Amino acid sequence: MKDIFSLFFAYAKSGLKTRFQYKLDSVVATLAVFLREAAGIIAMYFALLKFDTINNWNINELMFLFSLIFITYGIFIVFFMALRDFSDWIKHGDIDRVMLRPRGILTQLVLCGADWLAALGHGTLGIVLFILSANNVGVEWNAETILYYIVSIASGVLIQGAVFLFFSAISIYFIETQSLKEIMYWNLRKFAGYPISIYNKFIQSLLIFVVPFAFVNYFPAQFLLRKPDMAAYPEWFMYISPFVGIILYALAYLFWKFSMRFYKSTGN
Amino acid sequence: MNTYIQFAAIKFRNNMAYRFEYLMGILNTVLNFLVYWCIYKALYGGADEIDGITFSMVTTNFIISLGLTNAFSKNEMFLHDKIKQGTIANELLKPVNFKFRMLFEDLGDGFFKVIFNFIPAVIIALFFTHIEPPAGILSFSLCLISAVLGYIVLWEISFIVQTWAFWLFSIWGIVTIKNVIINIFSGVLLPLWFMPEPVMNIIKFTPLDSIFFTPVQLYLGELQGYEIIFNFSKQLLWIAVLYIIGEFFWSRGIKKLVVQGG
Repeated sequence: MKDIFSLFFAYAKSGLKTRFQYKLDSVVATLAVFLREAAGIIAMYFALLKFDTINNWNINELMFLFSLIFITYGIFIVFFMALRDFSDWIKHGDIDRVMLRPRGILTQLVLCGADWLAALGHGTLGIVLFILSANNVGVEWNAETILYYIVSIASGVLIQGAVFLFFSAISIYFIETQSLKEIMYWNLRKFAGYPISIYNKFIQSLLIFVVPFAFVNYFPAQFLLRKPDMAAYPEWFMYISPFVGIILYALAYLFWKFSMRFYKSTGN
Repeated sequence: MNTYIQFAAIKFRNNMAYRFEYLMGILNTVLNFLVYWCIYKALYGGADEIDGITFSMVTTNFIISLGLTNAFSKNEMFLHDKIKQGTIANELLKPVNFKFRMLFEDLGDGFFKVIFNFIPAVIIALFFTHIEPPAGILSFSLCLISAVLGYIVLWEISFIVQTWAFWLFSIWGIVTIKNVIINIFSGVLLPLWFMPEPVMNIIKFTPLDSIFFTPVQLYLGELQGYEIIFNFSKQLLWIAVLYIIGEFFWSRGIKKLVVQGG
């Protein structure tokens, strides 16, 4: 265990050093990621000055909902960047190098690299949105709600990790999975920031059952905020995010383990 | 002129090679539209109009700005990459105007995107939504003319930012920030009818509303007589101003490059 920590810190140190070699450029690039991701919520802020609420969600509640997506992604990308870019690793034959080292493959992948730029950009945005909204959404922050919130964040990270572990396993067979990721993750993520009750049944089902973003932010936020549109979903959906995360990750892990047996190097 | 059209044609044909890419492009365009359509449908909550703006006008605003976004697609790292790889020296030796060549390559991309992404996406969108027809033949023609002028405004802004690659280590961050500003304040993410008054008063003094919003307003027949002339003049004025700024940075940058190369 101690070994794993020191490995993580060694990787993190070298990663940060490379990334922040050019200081001014890194600051501008981090700010750019922050603003690019904030654009949608800034536009919503202006829109809600006119419309007040969207399906009874006001701007603070909406920022709270968004904050969960960004905080979980910020943490997710520290651990799972290698899985996000796994098809590139296969294409360039980098996996062979990893396989030769005296640690588990997945352990190395999870620890090895963080997209610090994305982590800072998304993570900071999430924290800013949380700070702006947390005291204005009628949530009483006590031991129970704080614990629920922390567990929800962990579940959200795990769910997204599981999704990318699935993608990585698929890229063992198909190598190029950029488009799959584009549709199933990035496009659905655009929908996931907003209350899912504004969408039709098809998009809602995708967000609940296929790529369960709803358990990353919507249902956890509902537990804390109790908006009327929750009536359309079973009550227990608000309690199962951790199980969704653990089960999905376990399934993804088994599939990945199974798929790695078929791994063929693409050569040099 | 023919040379430059060839540059556009090559870009167009390059895009043709990636068939799967353009299927994805259509899907992306439809989904981008769908998100905003759902959001505004929920915001309207069944109301016919808010401040005299109907839901189908909002829909039309999103469709037109999405179409123009497709048409206005450009490779914003073009100059940056040429400078960083050092190939800019060879490019400048070629007997073509570098800036025109950039413009026409972008036009080739834009034409491709409009024909193969935007038009199919509109056809798909028509299955689930109502889009306002243009207010008339005159409105539609004026809309097209102002869209071309809007393109030039946007292209000039992009060109100015790209020339900063002569001085900066990387312009990716600045290009991204510039696009965020354009997306929010020129009507791509938020129809400018709903922009708060104080913000709109600032936007009026920038080129931002000349890019997407003027064509949208012309299409819907929202502008009359004097206003039409005013908006066209504004677009032309910004084109002139931005052209001068662009030339300023470009000539300085080229001079700096020559010094470095020596």
